[in-house]
Amino acid sequence: MTKYSATVEDGIDGMREMAKGNFNLRWMDSNPEGWGQEVTPSQDGLRLENIEKGHYAKVPEFGSRHGSMAPRGCYVPDETPGLDQYTLNEMSEVWSENAAALYDEAVVRQWNSVTDIPWHKLEKLPDDIEKSVCQMCTGLTEVEFVAGDMPAQWLHRINHDFHEVKLFLATQIMDEARHMDVFRKRALANGGGLLSASPANQDLLGAILTAGDYTTASALMHIFGEGFVLTLFRQGEFLAPTEVEKTIFRMCMQDEARHVAYGVKHLQYLLERHPEREEEIHKVLDLGEQAIFALTIEPQTSEPRAILAGGGMDNIELGLARMAFIYQKQVKEYISRLKVAGLDRLPRITIPLEIPDLGLAA
Amino acid sequence: MTDATTFPSEAWFTSLADVMKQERGAYESLGSTDCTMVVQLDEAEGADLFELVFESYGVESIRCLKSIDEAAPDHFVVKASRAVWQEMIDNIISNGHPDLEHTLNFLTFPDDPMVVEGPDQLQIDAFFRYNQSLQLFFNGAAKVAAA
Repeated sequence: MTKYSATVEDGIDGMREMAKGNFNLRWMDSNPEGWGQEVTPSQDGLRLENIEKGHYAKVPEFGSRHGSMAPRGCYVPDETPGLDQYTLNEMSEVWSENAAALYDEAVVRQWNSVTDIPWHKLEKLPDDIEKSVCQMCTGLTEVEFVAGDMPAQWLHRINHDFHEVKLFLATQIMDEARHMDVFRKRALANGGGLLSASPANQDLLGAILTAGDYTTASALMHIFGEGFVLTLFRQGEFLAPTEVEKTIFRMCMQDEARHVAYGVKHLQYLLERHPEREEEIHKVLDLGEQAIFALTIEPQTSEPRAILAGGGMDNIELGLARMAFIYQKQVKEYISRLKVAGLDRLPRITIPLEIPDLGLAA
Repeated sequence: MTDATTFPSEAWFTSLADVMKQERGAYESLGSTDCTMVVQLDEAEGADLFELVFESYGVESIRCLKSIDEAAPDHFVVKASRAVWQEMIDNIISNGHPDLEHTLNFLTFPDDPMVVEGPDQLQIDAFFRYNQSLQLFFNGAAKVAAA
């Protein structure tokens, strides 16, 4: 009578054979094309681009048909079952020529909010300034992790042959976790706390998460959303009242610029191969532009920055006038990034290129 | 004078690169830097241009350029008047680091008194991607002055 399942019994039989010295060992010669790889590390270490040479550099236009998690470049036995998970199987749907380099850059540029921020330099700030910093941090805590949720919902759909992209997106998720956590920490760490959520944020966040495919979601998030946030981080550093916020925003700025760089090069790669998708990208950007404009003028977003720019509540109008150029800068950089990607957005843009003259004295 | 402690000169930038080499550990904790930065100092009679190629944790090359056309195709330019550059360097030297109003980002963000330009936006974005390392590089001015 069989005591174990057929699988276990087969395993035990196999072990008996090995105990007699009958080994299989076919795996040792299973991948002659991929054997004997010569690798020269870069001067700062072993990068992905150092190892993805020759046989291993062949990224297929269409990812593996077997649909398993077998690593690109290995021998895949015929009986390897597919996982039936991957829907992003065409390289152009996810690829970016800088993905491998950005992954390596991301892993060596990781930082942490526990020890890399000089929290001991926090100082008591006037109430209006502390509240403004806390409101700014509330908004950023709210939006940052959409850039973690979005890649997370697509990652398991991306064919395993495009591992450079998957690896990069994994770093992005970690980056965004850190951003969410560092802004929450700052809001709570100096005697203040979280203030008001932003209803207007939800339209943009929702559009990113419900985009019909990865590329439109990426255009909306990596180029549009993160591009605008990159400028906000730069502005945050500019307005920072202490070394603590300065450091936070500088660190976050670096991370965000990597995400934008991936998005721009991905869209460029896609449009070079699928120019017919241009219209679909324009349409999702139409949505994004309307949402960001509503967000920009929402009091929770604009007023704390105006108070910080003016140096206090008494000068909020002066601060508002000073901040008008931020919007102009965001839009200009957004159009410029799309131009690099091969999309001429200027004739199609649905929001003003600059804030109309509000009659405020700068 | 163009000795190693006089800004701006190739020798001065080389001294900063030497500090970077000596303090590699600090740069390693930030991550590698791969970009080409052109420092432009504007004056009434023209501009001084210095091209710095950063690779990994060091500066691969430092060149004085006659014109921006000589720069590597992939680059960004950080430009300001000589007086503004000098003020930033003096501030770093006096504090050991910039105060809140003399960081690279603070000075460049409003496009005045410094501005970052480049052949395309992705190149300009490299200035943001490596900002902390570039700041640390210029902070080396305090060490050069003290040497």
